[in-house]
Amino acid sequence: MKERSVIHFNVADFAVSVERVVDSGLRARPLIIAPLQAARAVVYDMSEEAFRDGVRKGMALRQATKICRGATLLAPRPALYQKAMTAFLKEVQNYSPLIESGFADGHLFVDVTGTHRLHGPPPDIGLRIRRYVRTHLGINPIWTLGTSKLVSKVASRLVKPVGEYIVSPGDEALFLAPLPVALLPGLTRQELRKLEEFHLTTVGALAGLSRQQLKVPFGSRSDYLHDISQGIDDSAVSTSSSTTQTVDCEQSFADDTNDRQEVEAVVVDLVSRAGQYLRARRQVARRVGVWLRYSDGSHVVRQASRRVGSNSDFVLHNLALSALQRAWVKRTRLRSCRLVCDRLHKQSPQLLLFPDKGIKERRQEKLLGAMDTIRNRFGHQLIRLGSRSSMADGVRSTIH
Amino acid sequence: MFPLRVRSYYSLLQGTSSPATLCRQAKRYGYTGLALTDRDNLYGLWSFLKNCKNEGLRPVIGAEITDPASKKCITCLVRNRKGYSNLCFLLTERHMGKKFNLATALQKYAEGLVVLCRDYQLLNNYSRQGVEVVADLGSRPTETGRLLRTWAKENDIVSVATPDSDMAEEGDFQLSCLLRAVGEGATISEVRRKGENEKPGWLAGPQEYRDRFAVWPELAAATERVAARCCYTGPDFGVVMPPWRGDDDKPAGLALRQKAFCGARRRYGDDLGEPVVERLEHELSTIELMGFSSYFLVVRDIVHRKGKDGRRTKRRICGRGSAAASLVAYCLDITNICPLKYNLYFERFLNPGRSDPPDIDIDFSWDERDDVLTEVLSDFNGHAAMVCNHVFFKPRMAIRETARAFGLPGYEISEVTRRLPWVYKHGEESLEQRISSLATFRGRDFSQPWLEVLTLAEKLIGVPRYLSVHPGGVVITPEPISSYVPVERAQKGVPIIQWEKDGTEEAGLVKIDILGNRSLGVIRDCLHAVAGNDKAPDEVSWQPEDDAATKLTVAEGETMGCFYIESPAMRLLQKKAASGDFEQLVIQSSIIRPAANEFVREYVRRLHGGSWQPLCAEIGDVLDETYGLMVYQEDVSRVAVALAGFSHSQADGLRKVMSKKDKKLRLANYRERFFAGCAACKVDLADVERMWQMMMSFDGYSFCKPHSASYARVSYQAAYLKRHFPAEFMAAVISNQGGYYSIFAYVSEAKRLGLKILHPDVRESEIRWIGKEAWIRVGLQNVQGLSTVFQKRLIRERGKRQFSGLEDFFTRTKPADNEVCALIHGGGLDGLSETGNRSALLWQWASFQRARKSASHHSLFEVILPPPPLLPIPDQRTRLRREFRVLGFLCDMHPLQFFAHRGRGLVKACDLSNHKGRRVELAGWLLNGKLVSTSNGEVMEFLTFEDETALFETTFFPDVYSRYATILTSGKPYILGGLVEEDYGALTLTVHGIQLLRR
Repeated sequence: MKERSVIHFNVADFAVSVERVVDSGLRARPLIIAPLQAARAVVYDMSEEAFRDGVRKGMALRQATKICRGATLLAPRPALYQKAMTAFLKEVQNYSPLIESGFADGHLFVDVTGTHRLHGPPPDIGLRIRRYVRTHLGINPIWTLGTSKLVSKVASRLVKPVGEYIVSPGDEALFLAPLPVALLPGLTRQELRKLEEFHLTTVGALAGLSRQQLKVPFGSRSDYLHDISQGIDDSAVSTSSSTTQTVDCEQSFADDTNDRQEVEAVVVDLVSRAGQYLRARRQVARRVGVWLRYSDGSHVVRQASRRVGSNSDFVLHNLALSALQRAWVKRTRLRSCRLVCDRLHKQSPQLLLFPDKGIKERRQEKLLGAMDTIRNRFGHQLIRLGSRSSMADGVRSTIH
Repeated sequence: MFPLRVRSYYSLLQGTSSPATLCRQAKRYGYTGLALTDRDNLYGLWSFLKNCKNEGLRPVIGAEITDPASKKCITCLVRNRKGYSNLCFLLTERHMGKKFNLATALQKYAEGLVVLCRDYQLLNNYSRQGVEVVADLGSRPTETGRLLRTWAKENDIVSVATPDSDMAEEGDFQLSCLLRAVGEGATISEVRRKGENEKPGWLAGPQEYRDRFAVWPELAAATERVAARCCYTGPDFGVVMPPWRGDDDKPAGLALRQKAFCGARRRYGDDLGEPVVERLEHELSTIELMGFSSYFLVVRDIVHRKGKDGRRTKRRICGRGSAAASLVAYCLDITNICPLKYNLYFERFLNPGRSDPPDIDIDFSWDERDDVLTEVLSDFNGHAAMVCNHVFFKPRMAIRETARAFGLPGYEISEVTRRLPWVYKHGEESLEQRISSLATFRGRDFSQPWLEVLTLAEKLIGVPRYLSVHPGGVVITPEPISSYVPVERAQKGVPIIQWEKDGTEEAGLVKIDILGNRSLGVIRDCLHAVAGNDKAPDEVSWQPEDDAATKLTVAEGETMGCFYIESPAMRLLQKKAASGDFEQLVIQSSIIRPAANEFVREYVRRLHGGSWQPLCAEIGDVLDETYGLMVYQEDVSRVAVALAGFSHSQADGLRKVMSKKDKKLRLANYRERFFAGCAACKVDLADVERMWQMMMSFDGYSFCKPHSASYARVSYQAAYLKRHFPAEFMAAVISNQGGYYSIFAYVSEAKRLGLKILHPDVRESEIRWIGKEAWIRVGLQNVQGLSTVFQKRLIRERGKRQFSGLEDFFTRTKPADNEVCALIHGGGLDGLSETGNRSALLWQWASFQRARKSASHHSLFEVILPPPPLLPIPDQRTRLRREFRVLGFLCDMHPLQFFAHRGRGLVKACDLSNHKGRRVELAGWLLNGKLVSTSNGEVMEFLTFEDETALFETTFFPDVYSRYATILTSGKPYILGGLVEEDYGALTLTVHGIQLLRR
């Protein structure tokens, strides 16, 4: 089998990096990005300088500004970060069609296996992309090269916040052996705790155990642990088009809230975004999930489904409210609300001889069609379904 | 118009206003009286009656009664004594009955009650049963009200308008919403939205009701007629004594005499001597005169457990309070201290002039107390119940509950509440201002929603939240107890009456305090452990206060673990006094009270020969025994009698009023009389002022001499055992879950006593700690995470045969995962391991679990563990860190030794005596502290630290405290800098700076 070459790009503190491109005066100064109007805002992203002072993502802004007094504060601009990510992706796409990326977070896996004749050796690709991105976009990503996503990811964690690392084929186990197990991706908190209890602190110590031995404490996860400890990872770099099985939107509240009307208004908005997306692609969803993240750090997920898929806001809204009802189990304020529509399939293009929809549904369909047209031309916020409360401020993101 | 249906804040989490506020409001509106009808209770009865009296209002007693199944509600108003009894029975039935049904409940208990109701079916039912019913149309005319009025007219039933109110005024709406949010576990926004649509009622003025009901003017007038029928103004039971059910029909007085003399002969020998006989005769006649004979006998029976053979055996007790001044009590074995030997005055306990019934308080070992209570409650089934506590919202609870209703996350709430002091004083400023000014909140920003939370929480403070059980008060009555007071069941299952201590006393119900005392358990366990030892004391003739070695222990303040004399303040005082005498200890345990610091210093000075004059020439030798200082509660009375011409009962009243919460008015009255009395005796005004100030130091808690003497006896017993049997004693202290200090501190003390701390070991450890000679072994009870069931199973299985190995242990004891981890980290399984590698032990446990899972399919075979892989042994730091997490202390070393590299140039605590008057730096582990308020109202703290060599006491004066309050947390290491000071041989460090010690 041919050796694979996977490059991992990682822009540490992506939002901060983008803001520094926009305003070079922010460089080399501690920077915190968080909703500024809210009394109870939490940190969205922070620069390395602020991190060194103890600021962390999700920390109360009040506390963050106290421990990093000189930090400059900026409000998050997700659209800007998305734009920068798109530009980054565009450059990378010149080298390979196999790219796996997150949502505006500066992370990319690029499979450059077999592109030698076109673009030269993989290290050259890494260097070239970084040079281009640094010159044209002003951001400086870490790049690491390995024979799998696992190895390149671990290497990237190793050199963070800046740098590059190449793990030669065949050196994977040797590279991983002295590293702490916490650098391995995909391990749960309990697994890390267990490893610590057995005093298996390095990947090498873990690699010293056979599959059979690992089965004793880790059961069915033993194969995974064994493989990653040896640097074995066969998972493919999966492009977004091959993985998109869900429509996912999220609202982070600038000020956490436990006001039911406010949260329900947010759910209406998220449903309208998901509905519009589905209708645009002539898709329907059979299940809607609501993910609530509470201010105490816990989160609850509940879903509601129906037999027949739909992309009507009205149907999706009912499902979402039913899921919300079951997910919202305590009085603690909510930090964010996420809506996930899945079990998607194509809307049948064929019209029914005897339509199964009533007059009301057909009217709703027309109404939504008209709203979609207006939104496409003038923006999503221009028109929306009436609700008892206005939308809460916050950071809104949509992943499709 | 007479307000017939008004709820106070005793309608828990519903009403917002106190009976006092409601009475004030009713008076302002010009009502002639008020009916207080709280939901399913009479909690506020005594407060209501008192406030009606103060405001000149006519009280109507009543309560709302709800049906838990149908949620219907009626209001019962009391017409006469019988009606009151019936209401108590009804309320008891509502709380204790298995199937309470409003429709049938009134069949038995309707007499003497007027029932207000708005449910047709119930009205119909009650009318047929002959109950005196009234149709309740509520606070506003409504359509349903119109129909009810018409129906009532047709059926010849009177209709009335009622306030049906939860609030004294409309402005209480926010508090009402908050209470509902707390009660329903809802968010404040949700409740507010609901409340805006359906606002709770408030007590309006009579004219407003007349205006509202202008269409049906007869309704307001009818309220007056209904109120006129309810002329019962409150219970008047007199003094209700517990009934004694003797073995024969002998009168209680005679039985008491026989038992007292019999006990006296056991105590003093057959030849009693004149003083004993005289005192007994005097006491018995007073007891008989005041009707207290049966009370003494009932308490005696409680102290002496009745066995299955009918014979009584004495429990380990410590009679405390003023009852210890009674020779009869001593002879009945209710108390442990001879009142003749220690010159204790019987009149402090009982005198013919005393109008209120005194309590007899008995301490039992803390782990035996519940059995005693169960026995009493079952012996007097239906006639006995415990006294309750009305638990009010205090700042901490108010802030927590309000913040929850606002949805703030738990960690954020704890961040605020854990910084609040336990003692809290009310002042002019708002809660937010007061909290912001605390040193522990320095730099904390209370922006929204915290500002709103604190503003609302302030309104919640002082509102009752729930009922808890009084620590030990039991009431036993001759008639069924529910005929005096409604009874309900507390969370922990015992029956409780609906009144707290003061209400119980006001009603004349005599309570017996059955309290728990850990030190009695310590002494019991220690004596049990040393039984058979030649040096073990014989309890009958044991006089620990006469033992020279014990005296030395007390004089050196080496009394950590000893009952009542282990606190830093007490230990320092003993060091300064350096006497170790029983009489001095009695004084010391009484003189240490919050407001008496300057007298403590003066006491030490005088004890060491400093000159002193009596408080004034006229006082004579009244206070000579205590060096001219007022030390005991009765000193207040004695001075008042000697100088101001108070009678004994008046002086006793002055003493009592000092311990009351709402004393301001009454105290002012006593002050006036005291000053006038002294002036009449020509005492100098400056002297009077000084004496009054000294009397005011008895504000809050203080003790009488019999109580102090009784406790000092237990203190000496503990000190004796500590001195002569340190291993057994320290094991008993920790097994009984310590006292003033944490287990960590007691383990350190054991190490300082030269004892070796042995790890827990599943082959050796008991549930409790074991101590012998020069070692103590950790008990399973202190391995965090072990369930009681597992601990018992382990002991039971080991009793059958010793564990042969890990597989055997796992198989037979069936532990949970966290239990095995805790045992391994605590070292409890080291003995079953060949290598001592705890990582390997954990692996073998995982291996056992995996094998057990597979074995469930092939249960014929025993589990055989394969050898573990070669796992690295945890390094020492990791091992100790885990051990500390599981045990809360380290067996072999002090955590400060981890920081040894930081200790260069630091002084050790045991060397402080070589640095008197000098500034030093030393490392210390913070054990605990005590916040105090200076005379200027500033806050300072006394903190106890230790290093691996000794304990040391520190003082943080207000400026230093305010600078460092935010970093002070128990169980953390620090470097302290300060001045070593000496006062009468006791060393303290006055801290100037402190910083957290990091690795």
